[in-house]
Amino acid sequence: MKGVTRRQFLRSSSLGLGLGLAGGLAGCAASMKGDFAPKSGRRVVVIGGGWGGATAARYVRMADPSIEVYLIEPNKEFVSCPFSNLVLSGLRTIESLTQPYDGLRRRGVKFIHESVTAIEPDAKRVRVGEGYLAYDRLVVSPGIDFQWEQIEGLPAVKDTVLHAWKAGPQTVELARQIQAMPDGGNFVLTVPPVAYRCPPGPYERICQVAWYLKTNKPKSKVIVLDANQNIALFRAAWQAYPNIDYRASNKVTGIDTSTREVRTDFDKVKYDVLNLIPPQRAGAIAVQADLVGADKRWCEVDHVTYESAKQKGIHVVGDATIGLPVPKSGNVANNMGKAAALSIVSLLNGQTVPIMPPGNTCYSWVSDREAIAVVNAYKIENGKVVQIEQKLTPAQSASVAQRAEGWRQSIWADMLS
Amino acid sequence: MTTRTCSSTRLGALVPAAARPPLISKIMISLAIATLALVAALGAAEAAGPLDDPAFAKVITCGACHGVNGNSKSDMQPIIAGLDAAYFKRQIESYATGKRPSPEMEPYAKQVQFLGLESIAGFFAAQKREPTPLRVAPESIARGRVASTPCMACHGPDGRADVARLVPPLAGQPADYLAQQMLLFKIDTREPSEALLSAKKAIMRITPDSQFPDLAAYYSSLR
Repeated sequence: MKGVTRRQFLRSSSLGLGLGLAGGLAGCAASMKGDFAPKSGRRVVVIGGGWGGATAARYVRMADPSIEVYLIEPNKEFVSCPFSNLVLSGLRTIESLTQPYDGLRRRGVKFIHESVTAIEPDAKRVRVGEGYLAYDRLVVSPGIDFQWEQIEGLPAVKDTVLHAWKAGPQTVELARQIQAMPDGGNFVLTVPPVAYRCPPGPYERICQVAWYLKTNKPKSKVIVLDANQNIALFRAAWQAYPNIDYRASNKVTGIDTSTREVRTDFDKVKYDVLNLIPPQRAGAIAVQADLVGADKRWCEVDHVTYESAKQKGIHVVGDATIGLPVPKSGNVANNMGKAAALSIVSLLNGQTVPIMPPGNTCYSWVSDREAIAVVNAYKIENGKVVQIEQKLTPAQSASVAQRAEGWRQSIWADMLS
Repeated sequence: MTTRTCSSTRLGALVPAAARPPLISKIMISLAIATLALVAALGAAEAAGPLDDPAFAKVITCGACHGVNGNSKSDMQPIIAGLDAAYFKRQIESYATGKRPSPEMEPYAKQVQFLGLESIAGFFAAQKREPTPLRVAPESIARGRVASTPCMACHGPDGRADVARLVPPLAGQPADYLAQQMLLFKIDTREPSEALLSAKKAIMRITPDSQFPDLAAYYSSLR
């Protein structure tokens, strides 16, 4: 009970009375049969413990501790995608981007480290293991999955071709391959067509790998095959890296791992190390539960409450959403998580849902010590999110990089503490 | 806080001071205090929480950088909890017009204006300020203390706010943030040609850059 105030103690103990079994559930699939945690009060279930889901769980508990919150996330620890490009350049370790969920546990969030196998909106329950968990409101924050089938030859090899677009083992493996590549080798990175997770992410990655190679393997090149048109934002930063060979509007269409070759409509490019970032869609559970729209890729939501346009009682947040003029960023997912959480608390308490437009701050590291930023603020007009303004940092600088560090410290605490 | 005022009033009504012998009175007071404390605490536990304050939902974007309730724990994003409302409003207006240039804050300042500057300023002013976690070296603090003499004219001996003169509190602010602001004053990019800041900038101009981290360490260490 160290450091727990009387108020916190009363909150947690009053909840503890009705729900004795909570602690024993984590990672215990065998015991999950039938209604394995019968609901005695109001309950919110959150699927996904990333930027959107972790924030949503935290803010429901903060705003109304009488609401029980379950967070279902297969990973036992949180790994940050933002800053993970710095692992590729050796400036950071993956461990430094890995955080425990202890802070959320202290707030009374109950964890199940499993994957949800199905959502049953009519019965208001989710299936986990051989059992199910009932909810009053569901938050789905599934992140992204890949459309392997869009690239010829990719479905057969899938994860053996590295995307490193979900921070974790793939990030570490890609860093290892880059370090092991002989001087003079080609690193090939392919950028998928929009919309994809983290719009500036591939270009920050290009900077980081180019910086690493320029410093350590000066004869090596970074060849970029970008499905999109010329990116202007990073052009100034790339002046420092003559080892970048950037090819715009050059969408990858096929891969042959036996000849170590990727194909586009115009090119065949040999690689020594390949980082193929495939086209993306909402995380599998959102597709399977039919939360996606006609495009079969992304989920349309209400711009105020983040309630799914297709299913009542289910709120979708983060990269899986579409239709708002916002980037698929961690900062936006965090803001959506809060807005969904406070909407849910308001709805469960019969209160009016407040208007909570999101904001976005995206920092990109362009070298080992300098960064740039893109900032967007939004308002809500007639129930729709509308951008007020977008601002860019006037130049790359160490001071922006310092602010990026500060942002990381703050927003991690805002999700996980 | 409402609960506190309420319980002391009820306590006064229950136990009129001169009406009972001292010992019994003492016991009764203790019992009453205990009961009322429990009632108040249970009442607090059942309250709907921060959403009772309509401004809480207006500051969700602020929290990502400045911390929930404005108590930033980072080295670079300033603590805005407990800031005087007039000072807060002035800063938001300066950010929104570009007078205080910041690519991060200009869009967000406009969002604050959209959501209601008055209530957001009031919200942060009402939050209890928690000083930054101490991450600076003692030698740097000691050097900063010595160098801080010229700053005292406005910031006093303890770096507290002087609300009447729109002087913000420096005590307990993150060190890196303070150091960066000193530099911005020195090169005159923070509210250029603003008369209110001319004395401040004059001092910063004659302060060597190398002293900024020490001054920042000193003021951030004050509690």
